[in-house]
Amino acid sequence: MRSIGTSSEARAGERAFTDNPALMLRAVGIGKTFTLHGQGGVQIEALAGVSLEVERGECVVLVGPSGAGKSTLLRCLYGNYLASRGSIAIRDAANDGQPVSITGAEPHDVLRLRRGVVGYVSQFLRVIPRVPTLTLVAEPLLSRGVPEGEARSRAAALLARLNVPERLWSLAPATFSGGEQQRVNIARGLIAEHPLLLLDEPTASLDAENRDVVADLIVEARERGAAIVGIFHDEDTRGKVATRRLELQPPLRH
Amino acid sequence: MTPLLSARSLTKQYGGRNGCRNVSFDLYPGEVLCIVGESGSGKTTLLNTLALKTAADSGSLHYTATHGDQLDLLALSEPRRRLLMRTEWGFVQQNPRDGLRSGVSAGANIGEPLMAVGARHYGDIRYAATQWMERVELDSSRIDEFPAAFSGGMQQRLQIARNLVTSPRLVFMDEPTAGLDVSVQARLLDLLRTLTSTLHLSVLIVTHDIGVARLLAHRLMVMQGGEVVEAGLTDQVLDDPQHPYTQTLVSSVLPV
Repeated sequence: MRSIGTSSEARAGERAFTDNPALMLRAVGIGKTFTLHGQGGVQIEALAGVSLEVERGECVVLVGPSGAGKSTLLRCLYGNYLASRGSIAIRDAANDGQPVSITGAEPHDVLRLRRGVVGYVSQFLRVIPRVPTLTLVAEPLLSRGVPEGEARSRAAALLARLNVPERLWSLAPATFSGGEQQRVNIARGLIAEHPLLLLDEPTASLDAENRDVVADLIVEARERGAAIVGIFHDEDTRGKVATRRLELQPPLRH
Repeated sequence: MTPLLSARSLTKQYGGRNGCRNVSFDLYPGEVLCIVGESGSGKTTLLNTLALKTAADSGSLHYTATHGDQLDLLALSEPRRRLLMRTEWGFVQQNPRDGLRSGVSAGANIGEPLMAVGARHYGDIRYAATQWMERVELDSSRIDEFPAAFSGGMQQRLQIARNLVTSPRLVFMDEPTAGLDVSVQARLLDLLRTLTSTLHLSVLIVTHDIGVARLLAHRLMVMQGGEVVEAGLTDQVLDDPQHPYTQTLVSSVLPV
């Protein structure tokens, strides 16, 4: 595993995690620039100089205008985008709580973190052909070695709570409505009770009633001690779940 | 965790042209690694070199055997190599007819590898063949028919059963879904996805289909002109491609 940025930064990072046992995520000076080689090497700066620390039991809501880099930041934290600058460290529950640097980690370390520590819920469900809803939701538990019966009953309970009709559970979600797919996606993202949750507009296409259910689930996760970073488009949900807000501004275009 | 397969600067050239150059990577147990790239980029050469089907020109290749022994694959004796292929590896060919024996029945195609590793009880072998036919969703009452009596997609599933029946630890696949119609492809992909995760297989798959890679692979290696130009987590490489060629590859996928 490579060290976190420069060595002095790495030491500061490790100290931050030992000094504060509640710290789950520490990001320093994150920047992201996309280079579009196919279009004359145009450079697009999506994010610049963002720093963020999140503790257990905190829900940081990212706010800012469209194009401020909110989703980009979440994707960088998940390791889905490679941050161009800065360092991101996440406490690894399995490994004595030692921080792992997402910005320099080997792929199999990132995969292990995603299995046990970091959960990500996007706006869209990635449908896998032929896999029934219940199996799809139970999968994150099964991949951690939870017995099949228990995983399936927990999946069923969560789907019921999210008002996904039971007659749909045995079907693959490809033909579901947008709201139903999104609720399946939320169930899949929240079932494993990851200690760090990254939520990218999980309530975008839901009606008010289901939005409340999702907000309740997020609050429960927070009270259980999960550290949460999220983007929510409606002020109502923000008000319910947030403990803190982080304002992002679009990077200055040169 | 020690890597199952570890390649360093692996090179195979055909008279100074083509082939693959300077490939290094580690494959960990339970990991599915996809090699993607256009045709002629050296994907299959790399796969064949890793599977010891063609000899490497230079570089090193190490494998951790069942009992934890580190094997230097490029210096392995022929009997050891054959033992390894029989007991710990599988190789799924692009064309099922290359991986099946056309002169014996479907059941025999699945049973043969078992016999090669010591199974002798006819009833057990036939039972295992029946089980595996069901597992790959073939009608087990057709166990005594020859491979030619099955459709292309069924033959491919038969080949997969033949390769997995001995519980290998490492499976090589060369375009396992190419040439199949999309509905059969989806079924085969789902099957592969389930089998790799339940059997905790390590898999190296060559494909030119980005969708296949996204569905099956934990990690990707992108090849162009015989070299690996980009490697990383599947979703990271596909959602945030860095290399010009990978960007072209990802943006060339037709939206459905």
